[in-house]
Amino acid sequence: MSERTATIASRVGLHARPASIFAAAVGELSIDVTIGLESDPAEDAMDASSILSLMSLGAANGDVVVLRAEGEGADEALEALVLILETDHDAA
Amino acid sequence: MSSVTPVVVLAPVPGRAVAIEEVPDPTFAQSIVGPGAAIDPPRGVVDAIAPISGKLLKVFPHAYVILSPDGLGVLVHLGIDTVQLHGEGFTLRATQGDTVSAGDVIVSYDVVAIEATGRNPIVPVIILERTAENITLADAVTAGAQLAAGDEFITVNS
Repeated sequence: MSERTATIASRVGLHARPASIFAAAVGELSIDVTIGLESDPAEDAMDASSILSLMSLGAANGDVVVLRAEGEGADEALEALVLILETDHDAA
Repeated sequence: MSSVTPVVVLAPVPGRAVAIEEVPDPTFAQSIVGPGAAIDPPRGVVDAIAPISGKLLKVFPHAYVILSPDGLGVLVHLGIDTVQLHGEGFTLRATQGDTVSAGDVIVSYDVVAIEATGRNPIVPVIILERTAENITLADAVTAGAQLAAGDEFITVNS
């Protein structure tokens, strides 16, 4: 099991636009990725490719989330996903 | 996740139906979040209602998501870039986690106040985790007609 933390950079949090970009990136992977708030128990983690999960997670700017994945290439995949979360996609 | 019977999604606010492609925000116009349609509301304070029955999964309060028992999620987004207003112009009438019926008032939306900030008050209604092939717009929506809140808006077929 690979695990990475990321701090949400988007000023509006993991909302419509950033959540969609992130969910689409996860959806392109061949492995399952979960996302949860660092403050929540690991078993509460949700499917990171689901826009519905991401919006119900409601991670705000500055919140720390934990990404978890298993399998071939999990480390590299999570590194890439952390980069997406730590980029402010609403920056002009 | 697939719902077996078609679900009718109601217009959450009154106003003129607008094609999703015409929403001045690429996130919605390009259906990045999901397919749907939009409503240009009248200039006043309008009650935004639940478009389907289910659980009020998330209230922001400039947007809300309702999840049906079948797992169908509908996002109602009140205005463009309204996330930056931090709730200004929105009065919550329901609580996150509530079980609501289609037609229940969720948020009172001060369209005039939002427009006064220079933002477009248009309301995209997005079907989550579906594609355009899964939904059928009501004839009045395709025609760009004036709608009342609660009018049939979109049917989700699968």
